[in-house]
Amino acid sequence: MSFLSKQTVLDEFKKAKESKTKEWRDNLPTWCPGCGHFTGLHGLYEAAERLNIPPKDFVVVSGIGCSGRFPFFIKGFGLHGLHGRAIPIATGIKVASPDLTVVVVGGDGDGVGIGGGHFPHAARSNFNLTYILLDNSIYGLTKGQISPTSPMGMKSGTSPYGNIARPLNPTTLALAYGATFVARTFSRERDMVSELITKAIQHKGFSFIHDLSPCVVFNKVVTYDSVNDASAMLPEGHDILDRSKAMTLAESTEPIYQGLFFREEVPSFDDHAKQVRDGLKD
Amino acid sequence: MKYSEITIRFCGIAGDGIVASGKILAGACANIGLHVMVNNIYSAEIRGLGKSSATIRFSTEKLYSMGDGLDLLVGMMSKESIIDLRDVKVGGNVIYDTSTIGDVAEEDSLASHITPEIQGHGLPIKKLANEATGTNQGKNLVAIGAICYFYSLPPEMFIDQIRSVFAHKEEHIIDINIKAFNLGYEYFRENYPLNNQFEIDKRSEPRALTSGNDAIAKGAIDCGLKFFAGYPITPATKIMEIAAKELPKLGGWTLQMEDEIAAIGAVLGAWFAGKRAMTATSGPGLSLMSEMINMSVMAEIPTIIVNVQRGGPSTGLPTKVEQGDLNIALYGGAGDSPRVVMAPTNSEECYSGIQLAFDIAEKYQTPVIFLSDLFLGQRTETVTIKENIDRNRCTRKKPTPEQLENFQRYQITDDGVSPLIVPGEPGAVYSTTGLEHSVTGNPNYEEDVHSMMTAKRFRKFESMVEDLPEADILGEETADIGIAGWGSTIGSILEGMEIAKKQGVKTKLIKSIMIHPQHEDSFRKFFASCKKIIVPEMNYQGQYAALLKSRYGIKPIEIHIPSVNPVSPLKIAQKIMETSSELSQ
Ligand SMILES: Cc1ncc(C[n+]2csc(CCOP(=O)(O)OP(=O)(O)O)c2C)c(N)n1
Ligand code: SF4
Ligand SMILES: [Mg+2]
Repeated sequence: MSFLSKQTVLDEFKKAKESKTKEWRDNLPTWCPGCGHFTGLHGLYEAAERLNIPPKDFVVVSGIGCSGRFPFFIKGFGLHGLHGRAIPIATGIKVASPDLTVVVVGGDGDGVGIGGGHFPHAARSNFNLTYILLDNSIYGLTKGQISPTSPMGMKSGTSPYGNIARPLNPTTLALAYGATFVARTFSRERDMVSELITKAIQHKGFSFIHDLSPCVVFNKVVTYDSVNDASAMLPEGHDILDRSKAMTLAESTEPIYQGLFFREEVPSFDDHAKQVRDGLKD
Repeated sequence: MKYSEITIRFCGIAGDGIVASGKILAGACANIGLHVMVNNIYSAEIRGLGKSSATIRFSTEKLYSMGDGLDLLVGMMSKESIIDLRDVKVGGNVIYDTSTIGDVAEEDSLASHITPEIQGHGLPIKKLANEATGTNQGKNLVAIGAICYFYSLPPEMFIDQIRSVFAHKEEHIIDINIKAFNLGYEYFRENYPLNNQFEIDKRSEPRALTSGNDAIAKGAIDCGLKFFAGYPITPATKIMEIAAKELPKLGGWTLQMEDEIAAIGAVLGAWFAGKRAMTATSGPGLSLMSEMINMSVMAEIPTIIVNVQRGGPSTGLPTKVEQGDLNIALYGGAGDSPRVVMAPTNSEECYSGIQLAFDIAEKYQTPVIFLSDLFLGQRTETVTIKENIDRNRCTRKKPTPEQLENFQRYQITDDGVSPLIVPGEPGAVYSTTGLEHSVTGNPNYEEDVHSMMTAKRFRKFESMVEDLPEADILGEETADIGIAGWGSTIGSILEGMEIAKKQGVKTKLIKSIMIHPQHEDSFRKFFASCKKIIVPEMNYQGQYAALLKSRYGIKPIEIHIPSVNPVSPLKIAQKIMETSSELSQ
């Protein structure tokens, strides 16, 4: 695949400043041309526009990493937090102010490395948050070290003889943690990304998007092409209420399925909390 | 003997009703208007058959500490109580259980360890309890009955208290407990001639009993706490438990998070969303929070961390007191990272102080670390809580319409405080970050921006001084010996000063709930008026002394007590006497 020049990317974003999503566009992104994260950002603009989320009620919380820069590119309230800690911060915001739309964005290192202890608890509590994990199987911002989702054998500055550990699979983790909305997307598929982010935000409860979002600078193993070659849409007729079937499909690496794996409509944290409070009134 | 002040300890194992004994005795004394302080000690975190003790001190005068020594030790369990004999005052008393004497080996028998300078009194505790209740339950009430007679206290005060403690139980339960009390009372009346008298003529209105942890939780809730996030840790958990129970009734919520990083993260989130929020922890948790405290400093998001200190470092001594977290509170964090540090000295200050902490945090957009300690947090004492605090003394700085037009979240201002808006409010939006940033909040690493923003963050600490209370100066103004202390040690210092005064040595004390920043002038003036300065504290390094030395250039006499127990007032008094004789040489 050939990449657009930096100028072309910026021109495209400048043009887009006049598009229907302009109300949600802020600073121009600073990523490398061709970075997968552009698609996730575009998807979030589209979702905000489709759902018409007023910027004043829209909060994007991020961790640290190339992926962490989202809040500066989106018009809304933003909190560029700490490495790995976006989920608890977002939890505090949402529980304190349930009427806000709160979206969490972070990288693979951020979400299942340093911050891996927070993800299970947000999922099992079914907080009404949307969590977008931009997975490039590398530490991008720190210039190319292995991450918890890097394949075995992958060489990098900190793994000169090859990665010895097995990669984590964020989609299966989300399913195991009890997330009530689990999808996997690929940043080459703009429409799919926008579509599923929109659905995720609409979902009442903890929604998770595992976006395969290649780093075009530092990852020579997991690339657009390698992901593309392995990609397949989830089989027609997959039952999104079947968690264990979703798990089996999510585990597959050949092919790497994409689409909505699982969705379950159960009371969210907000519903439970409201019930408790109402019960205390009398 | 006539007493106006008595200290009693119940000693036993889980199941002996040790804590309940303390509650009944303390509650009864508070009800008739006495001043009371109770300190419970557990040997380990695990309940099991571990030893526990409850020490109750009551007096007709205000109490500041647990004092020194016991007037009476009640050994509910023989072996477990032996070591506590060393705490009994010369001329003090011990009650031991005669009904178990045959069951324990000589070396485990409390009675056989009683030395001539203390008096032992046998009481068939277990036997009388069984007579009253048919089980071992009620042992504590047998002992309380005996105590009641022993110090000729009015029995009604206990009967009333038993009724209120067991109010939710069936009438028959109340009856058998009262019977146990009466049997203990009668046994002592028949066997020991009355020669002790507690002077009770100063009866007054009932007093409320509270712990430091209770007072902090209540203070926070009364000043608008809406969100609490925490992770259980001794000795701070009680604060979270109160928040968990009360906040949902007030439209708020408490979250038990997966760790302390998440807890403080969620608290920052809630403040970002404009709600008053806090967390409470102890040393190990505070250590985990340091990166988030830095985030709070950099992004200027208010936050409140209550740190109930226990012995350290590391997991340390979870059930013992120490004042070892001052350094981490003041300095624990990367970069130039200013934060407010406060330390209440008693339960009243826990209540009013936490409210000041919220107001300062909100107005000056800063983290506040509120340093309590295990002794202050867990002891219960009679207090007079001041509830009428001005709710509008400090509020969030909101932008003017012009400022909103072109909103700069980190606008440079004279007082260092920038206008703050919260999500959901119309008019403007902004993004914040833990990266250095320009006035708008966009990341910026230029030299002049960094120095301007750093100066702004520090300037807030100068402007806030006007909202802070002056230091308290107590004792004799003309004294040559000045003492500076902090936190719960103040109670022991005050009683140590009292002991020295009775020996003819005058002292004065400077104390402030504000550790940083402080009203520095009052400290400077105070130190200038002293010939000798003593700084006692419960840690090995002299952490507060180090702060005072670098801030005020003083050379104090330091008393470092890496204590596991509250500081002894006698120890302080001895140092005062020593210092006084050095001065007169
Ligand atoms: C506590 C802490 N440790 C380390 C870092 C350095 N750091 C910044 S981003 C990052 C990794 C980013 O990787 P990832 O989360 O996958 O995001 P990406 O840049 O790939 O989008 C690291 C290690 C930090 N900021 N904070
Ligand atoms: S380094 Fe990689 S992840 Fe970071 S912006 Fe560039 S392409 Fe994207
Ligand atoms: Mg990454």
